[in-house]
Amino acid sequence: MWRRYGDAVYTLVTLAIFGFETLALGWLSLSFLLGRATGIASTRFEGVLLATVTSTASALALLGLYLLGYHFTSSLRDRWHGERLDHWTERWIGLALEDAPGEAAADAPAPRRLPRAAVDAVLSLLEVVKGDEGDRLKAVLARHGVDRWFLRQLRSGHLAARLDAIEGLGKARLPQALDPLLALLEHPKPVVRRMAVRAAAGTLATMAPEPGRDGPGGRFIQALQGASLKAGVAQESLLLLESRAGAVLRDLLAEPDLADSLLWVVLETTGRLGLADMAEDVARSTAHPDPELRAAAFRALQRLGTIPEGAQASLAAALDDEVDFVRVQAAHAAAFLPAEVALPALEPLLGDASWWVRRAAATSLARLGDDGVATVMRAAETHPDEAARDMAVQVLLEAGVLDPAAALLVKGVA
Amino acid sequence: MTQMPRLTDARILVVDDERVNVVLLERILAPHEYGNVRSTTDAYQAAALYDELEPDLVLLDLHMPRLDGFGVMEQLQARISSDTFLPILILTADIRPEVKRRALAAGAKDFVTKPFDRTEVLLRIQNLLETRFLHLRLDRQVVREGQAT
Repeated sequence: MWRRYGDAVYTLVTLAIFGFETLALGWLSLSFLLGRATGIASTRFEGVLLATVTSTASALALLGLYLLGYHFTSSLRDRWHGERLDHWTERWIGLALEDAPGEAAADAPAPRRLPRAAVDAVLSLLEVVKGDEGDRLKAVLARHGVDRWFLRQLRSGHLAARLDAIEGLGKARLPQALDPLLALLEHPKPVVRRMAVRAAAGTLATMAPEPGRDGPGGRFIQALQGASLKAGVAQESLLLLESRAGAVLRDLLAEPDLADSLLWVVLETTGRLGLADMAEDVARSTAHPDPELRAAAFRALQRLGTIPEGAQASLAAALDDEVDFVRVQAAHAAAFLPAEVALPALEPLLGDASWWVRRAAATSLARLGDDGVATVMRAAETHPDEAARDMAVQVLLEAGVLDPAAALLVKGVA
Repeated sequence: MTQMPRLTDARILVVDDERVNVVLLERILAPHEYGNVRSTTDAYQAAALYDELEPDLVLLDLHMPRLDGFGVMEQLQARISSDTFLPILILTADIRPEVKRRALAAGAKDFVTKPFDRTEVLLRIQNLLETRFLHLRLDRQVVREGQAT
């Protein structure tokens, strides 16, 4: 009956409070009335007080009734909508799985407009199925004019209607909606841009690849470059590209004038998606003049788990970078260099001024097998810097190489 | 020689908070004679249904409110002995490798990405069930051989 968790408790508590207040005020009103009848409450002041108390009691009673009525009717509506949704879901599933032939037949009369529950049901299903089943459902939307209605609503002056249409098109993933959605990336409202780019990305994910700047992927890239989007929003949209993400990310990295903010997003997303075949493309940013981007490139390579040969020189340089967070990411990435290169490069960083760099260097060394562990152990025992010795012991403890008693012994040796 | 059970005899548990997904999966499985399918949209019911059904396969959504797929797998792992192969097929729209790694570490055996293709879902279910039944057959054989010696 209740729509959300806690609704029942909230309503009962509110009704109890209102009920108590109403009874108390009602009793007070009655007392005053009786007082007036017997001549006790006869002053003008008491008359005003009586009117105030009576009106307050009435208002509370009305509010309490409204609250109860609201929950009752809304729960009825929810139940009715749920039943309609179930009915339409069954019907559309039947159609998608071809259990109910004839629904999509071109000669069958189409109702002017589908009820809301029918549209919600088909959109929910389109979020779950693709292929032939998805195509059949998309045909339903086209046949009933839902796609055209959503596209018209994209130009609505009402923000809620426009957002509703964007959400619907995002679920429907209709190819004809891609360009109208991309056009909304220039909208002044951030919420519209955010929803539009999400919907456009989901749509592009289902479209057949077409190479070139005029293809859907190329148009998406151009729109993304021209849009003012927060990094998280842009990254989310790239993740929503599903199997198309790799191609779009590679094209973005090949863009000569890619904005730094978008380049950062592309590097992060490539790393997060683990697109190891793009390591060479990522490596080109390891010598970028912006330290944030150098760090992002090394973080991505570390997530990809590979350092291309062409990036080894810039990685060696980054281990001595003047910016500490670049050294941190470079030290993490160095774990994927050949051991004979990584060991001498990382060892000096055990005594770095930055706690984070020391930790990254020790962690990477500990991952480099016996020689790496031996290097960290040597640092734990004999490094002249106490901070370096402490970090080495800490990392060896975490790696399970030392137990707490042995760690104390090593510190004692030092 | 022990008769290999038919795949369609398999007991399948579906856990997904979206009723649409549950109904769809049931309807996809029904024409292929998977007659022993139980489902729930309440992740908290998953463990109880597991105890009741003892499924051969679990189809599990990852992103659910209150108790997500990882939580469900944690509950199920406490019930599955280490030498039992219980396939858990994850249904998710999340394609990030770290999510997949986490799910695999939690006990998932395979993934289907939403939106999914009906044929792909059926084939993955079939493959996992075949593997499950081969494991069961092997277990029985080991027990028989143990009894014989």
